[in-house]
Amino acid sequence: MSKNQKPNRITRRRFLKNATALGGAAVLGFPMISRSQAKTIRVGMPTILSGRVAQLGTSSRNAVMMEVEKFNAAGGLGGRRIEMVVRDSKGQPQEAARVSRELVNSEGCEILFDAEASSGAFAVNEVARDLGVLCFHINSETSALTADPKNRIPNAFRTARQGVHDSIAGGHYAASVAKAKGLRQWMTCSPDYAYGRDTTAQYLEYLKLFYPQAEVVGEAWPKLFQPDYTEVITKILQAKPQALYSCLWGGDLTSYIDQGNIYALFKATQFFAVNMADYTALTVVKNLPVGIHSGNRYIKTFPKTAANAAWGDAYRAKYGEYPTNWAWESATTANFLTAALKKANSADGKKLAEVLRGLKIDSPFGTDGTITMRAEDQTIIGYAIGWGTTISKEPYMPEVTAGDWKQILELELDWKKRNKYI
Amino acid sequence: MKRRGFAFDLGIATAVLVVLVILPILFPSKALIDFAIRVAAFGIFASSLNILVGYTGLVSFGHGMFFASGAYAFGLLMQKAGTSIPTAFLLTVLISAALAVVVGAICVRLKEIYFAFLTLAFQMLLHSLIISWQQLTGGDQGLMGGIPRPPFLGIDLSDQSQLYLFACATLVISLLLMRHLMQSPFGYTLRMIRDNAERAQYIGIRVWRMRLAAFVLAGTFASIGGIIMSLLMSGAYPEFAYWTISGEAIFMLMLGGTSAFLGPTVGTMMLLLLNDVITKFTEYYGLTLGVVILLFALVFRKGVADFVVEEWRRRFGENQA
Repeated sequence: MSKNQKPNRITRRRFLKNATALGGAAVLGFPMISRSQAKTIRVGMPTILSGRVAQLGTSSRNAVMMEVEKFNAAGGLGGRRIEMVVRDSKGQPQEAARVSRELVNSEGCEILFDAEASSGAFAVNEVARDLGVLCFHINSETSALTADPKNRIPNAFRTARQGVHDSIAGGHYAASVAKAKGLRQWMTCSPDYAYGRDTTAQYLEYLKLFYPQAEVVGEAWPKLFQPDYTEVITKILQAKPQALYSCLWGGDLTSYIDQGNIYALFKATQFFAVNMADYTALTVVKNLPVGIHSGNRYIKTFPKTAANAAWGDAYRAKYGEYPTNWAWESATTANFLTAALKKANSADGKKLAEVLRGLKIDSPFGTDGTITMRAEDQTIIGYAIGWGTTISKEPYMPEVTAGDWKQILELELDWKKRNKYI
Repeated sequence: MKRRGFAFDLGIATAVLVVLVILPILFPSKALIDFAIRVAAFGIFASSLNILVGYTGLVSFGHGMFFASGAYAFGLLMQKAGTSIPTAFLLTVLISAALAVVVGAICVRLKEIYFAFLTLAFQMLLHSLIISWQQLTGGDQGLMGGIPRPPFLGIDLSDQSQLYLFACATLVISLLLMRHLMQSPFGYTLRMIRDNAERAQYIGIRVWRMRLAAFVLAGTFASIGGIIMSLLMSGAYPEFAYWTISGEAIFMLMLGGTSAFLGPTVGTMMLLLLNDVITKFTEYYGLTLGVVILLFALVFRKGVADFVVEEWRRRFGENQA
């Protein structure tokens, strides 16, 4: 090129060169880019879709789909939509692990939504550890899953309640009722497996911390899925406790209440059932006794916000059933993922994990309208925890006393130190 | 026709092992590797049950207890004692053999349904122990925190492809050993006991001692299946000790057949394949599988491998399975 030529002048050679480059890029490059943009983000979801606790899987799937559809309808991540691949693990940990591996290895899933019960969650956690895939634990409330450093992995996040949080809030509420009503003699009736024993022990620990006068006069440990509670109810009636705690859940809790009603059990004692205030239990009990104390699992009136009520109504309108505790946890998972996708502007697992640590999202299920993914142990805090008493019709739990998250976090820290987790 | 000996079986085993080594090179699929590892674990487990069902005539409903003892003993040794994999493997086999001696000594004196239900009772006892002894076993949540898999002799079992080779080698060696034992005079004594225990006793065979030996052998091999499963899952779960796992092993025998030596392994492949395919398309896994099992139980009345062996014999006059 001579000095007199203008630098931007289009010569025939330059035109041909640029045209060739453009053509080459069009043929070789752009389809790759457009394919990449169109490529869906596949999320694998092992869960329980058959058997006695199939509602765990179906309500988790429903809630996730509802949120994912919103994200996709809004354009996804620069045109990339989320595609859910949901598989039944039949509630068996080894099958949960197998399905998870299959979802990653042969279905091309980049992210796992582990919607298993606790034993399955630990199995999926090991798969996530082995494969290094980003994993959200949606339903497991076992504290050790994220609190115990030996279980913790950088690519796994819990978007479910945590047992110790519920126990602290529940113990504090129970102590305040006990003080007001002079309930000193307590009895427990919880399912005989790890969740039942751990949750009951923690609840009693915090009840006694806040109300040292409380005394446990008896314990009953019915088997999981036990059909007949006559023996247990008779034992409670004979012990005549002033208050009774239970972490029975689902069909077990409703059967227990129906059978307890025959013996007028709940007229003789104050009943604290942490899992009562979930529509799956509230709407199934034949004669729901008035005044059962319960923690909120999911009810659309707590938090008492328009957003929460709207979400509950939308779910019911879409699926013709009430949402469950598992449903809000699943919706929260999808919300965290979509928020992380937008913030990272990428579906890469490592980048997503980075932005997820400490991420705060707006949520209808948060105490103050937000939920935070705590960075140090990758578990959520700030979700709605409250206790109240039930009535037999909507709104089922009209007044709820909210748990104090400042107190929960302080005592949780102390609990972690005692268990040598930190 | 002349019966082929151990050298022939060894040749076949070597050829199969070579094919299994080449397989992931030809078909580099992680899903296929996972499937093969599971086939190895359950194939050894089902074949070990066939020592009792097919060769000794003892139908055990509690064979899963040894699968679980293998998985838990191995997992606990690796987690708590920090032993090397070969040491943990060896100790696990010894622990399971000892368990089989104790359980077998009580069970093998009983016949038919009493034997079946007593083994089931022992299995459920082990299941309850696992659930209750939460501090050691993790209760219903299983062994948590993963099973350490430190490298040994240059083999790293946390690497999936190396675990695949290890599982395949263990499967082939276990099957070869079982085959050799079942083709030995001991194996033929078991067949005699299966066909007519009174006659065997009459000619001087101590029937209960032979049955106990078969029970211990079967339990020991089953525990090897459990070890492979725990390595794949990096954990052990109480479901390994639940009665349904023994039921699955019996289904594997029904699908594959009990007459042909490789029948249980064929049945394992069929059941796992059915499971994997059906769960992809429907939540009614139990219903679909039930129909298939009914078909085999009521219509075919034999396993697939039994049909193949019969056809082979018919065409080539082979009189040995």
